Amino acid sequence: MKRRRFIKALAAAPAVPALVAQQPLPPQSGRGAGPGGRQTQQEIAQLPLTEAGEIADPVARFFTASQFAALRKLSGILVPPVASYIGALDCDAPEFIDFLVSASPADRQQLYRNGLDALNLQARSKFGKPFADLDATQADAILKPLMATVAWAYDPPKDPVKHFIFQAHQDIRTATRNSIEASTAGASSGRRGLAGAGLFWNPIDPV
Amino acid sequence: MARKEYDVLIIGSGHSGGMAANVLTKKGVSCLMLNAGPEVDFSRDRTTKAAHELPYRGFNKPGRLPHVYQANEFNANQWVDEKENPYTYDPGKPYNWVRVRLLGGRSLFWSRQSFRLSDFEFKAADIDGRGDNWPISHADLAPYYSQVESIFRVTGRKEGWPQFPDGNFVESNFTAPESQCIQRLTELCNQRKIGVSRMRSSQGVNGLASSINLLLPDAVATGKLDIVSNAIVREISVDKKTGLVNGAHFVDRHSKREMHAKARVVVVAAGTLESTRLLLNSGLANSSGVMGHYLHDQIYGVSVVASVPEARDGKAPQGLMGGNVFIPRFRNLTKEDKRDFIKGYCMLINSGGGANPNFFAAYGDELQKKLDSYAGSCVSGSIYGERVPRFENHVRINKAVTDAWGIPVLHIDVKDSDNELNMAKDAANTMEELFKSAGWEILSKTDKFYPPGYSIHEVGTCRMGDNPKISVLNKWNQSHDIKNLFVVDGSAFVTCGWQNPTMTIVSLSMRASEYLAEQMSQRNL
Repeated sequence: MKRRRFIKALAAAPAVPALVAQQPLPPQSGRGAGPGGRQTQQEIAQLPLTEAGEIADPVARFFTASQFAALRKLSGILVPPVASYIGALDCDAPEFIDFLVSASPADRQQLYRNGLDALNLQARSKFGKPFADLDATQADAILKPLMATVAWAYDPPKDPVKHFIFQAHQDIRTATRNSIEASTAGASSGRRGLAGAGLFWNPIDPV
Repeated sequence: MARKEYDVLIIGSGHSGGMAANVLTKKGVSCLMLNAGPEVDFSRDRTTKAAHELPYRGFNKPGRLPHVYQANEFNANQWVDEKENPYTYDPGKPYNWVRVRLLGGRSLFWSRQSFRLSDFEFKAADIDGRGDNWPISHADLAPYYSQVESIFRVTGRKEGWPQFPDGNFVESNFTAPESQCIQRLTELCNQRKIGVSRMRSSQGVNGLASSINLLLPDAVATGKLDIVSNAIVREISVDKKTGLVNGAHFVDRHSKREMHAKARVVVVAAGTLESTRLLLNSGLANSSGVMGHYLHDQIYGVSVVASVPEARDGKAPQGLMGGNVFIPRFRNLTKEDKRDFIKGYCMLINSGGGANPNFFAAYGDELQKKLDSYAGSCVSGSIYGERVPRFENHVRINKAVTDAWGIPVLHIDVKDSDNELNMAKDAANTMEELFKSAGWEILSKTDKFYPPGYSIHEVGTCRMGDNPKISVLNKWNQSHDIKNLFVVDGSAFVTCGWQNPTMTIVSLSMRASEYLAEQMSQRNL
């Protein structure tokens, strides 16, 4: 938590939302104007809000304890901090993946559960302990044969464990790259722009 | 109270409906346009955000848009909600129907690639030895292409190649020297008699070439066009005495209130599959029995990526990397070119990018070193390939499933053939051979491609033709069966070609609308 607040403090002013919040409300269109062109909407100040992720720790609740321990270990190995880039464990990527998979269709949930169980099974079979307790050399001995090159993301490896490693690697990278910590670290190291910034479409006249 | 009867009811507001409104209103024809979705307001509906501000960190909400591979968490709200608007298919025959229901339709998000079809497409049966020709040729459509290119401000380099007809291009800046990498590739292509050109693209206005900024404003300015948004057309209505269409029943998207609008002529422009769904649900204009058949589009996904060794580790000398080229169809242009597939594909080559992490069986520090080493050294190639229109690839109404407004949905039944598979293999092998010949390291190669529909270029389900027994429309996009019914979107296509179809759709709509206005002025309609 302390580290999170420190990183937040480092983020001198990426705060586009905060700046936006300070702006006056946009003028109302003619269609919303009242009789005689009078504005019917009262101008109210926008209060500053805080993102939940900035003040609270995520709670993992989908995977079993042994599965989640394996996921944390896997995340730390696949996406460690390198040079000025943060690692998966610096931004709660495993906790985010737990949440993402919990909200996913059954086939993705099964892919992850079976994949993490397979890592634990191999670790116990080869080294007599769960995957989370392996040292770097032991973990490499399991993971390296499971790595596959993939020319096209929609054509993943046929082997289910290799498929899992491919998918998890891709997801952990994205969860890390798109985190607020990565954005802050990027700004601090002089990389231009916000990580994963884009033009967001609001819901358009929903039913 | 008796409501107004319009001259023409236009269903749909994308490029085809927008052009119909543009042409007809300028000729004094009163038009009503019904669009299924709301009007978009760019300043209200879009906000710049960082991925970490979104609930799913930039991953889309899982399972929300399973058939829209283009969707992500940033743009998810622009696509049609698949739960409100479902469709069905057999599990072994997946289809990606990518839809937008905003005013302006998919024209709001068009990539702006602007090509004409050639007589290699219009007269495809003569070249392929099977299939059917269009009832028109390039010469018939050329004057309309030219006008559309002027409105859309198309840029391009003239080549004089029959498979890649030149257009009425606005001045273009293609004078910048090409990178050595692109020059090398061009030499190799020329040795193999493969023509290398540049992308042709609509400039539009401020980077937008949509119906809402190029076509509809002029129509509205005539005072002859009324537009109703959130109007989901359930059924086209028919005068039982004459057999002619006389309007449409529609339902309000929010309230679900049922309404009916009257018109002397109906122009359907809701996009290939929505138009076909509406006509099938209405039970109209299908004496041929081919409505819904011949659905086809283009294959996307085949790609090869290579790395230029001299550009690795940040050591690329000035002028080595960068730029892109466009290679129009070069296969099956002569009878001597014997392949294990008919038709052809184009190639898009980009120079100067980086490598995808998926190309390496590595992780952690080792992976980052590889990514750093290959950064800026890559050349990537991809294709758009023509799928063969086949009768068995079709849509039909699935009465067992309805959308949120109680309207029966489409069941889509499409499967690729060996022709698509063989074409994809040829394309991947060709790009690999070119890149290897250039001395570049192949990093990845795939001849796999996305399911049908992914290209968003679906066409063919109300195809035009001279013979009413094997076509739905005549050469003026007019129903063979009902003379005051026109269909002006991509469903009229006989073959899609490898080209982005938008220029052809808009040109056909312009041509059909001028014909319609002429027929109305002569009181034939």
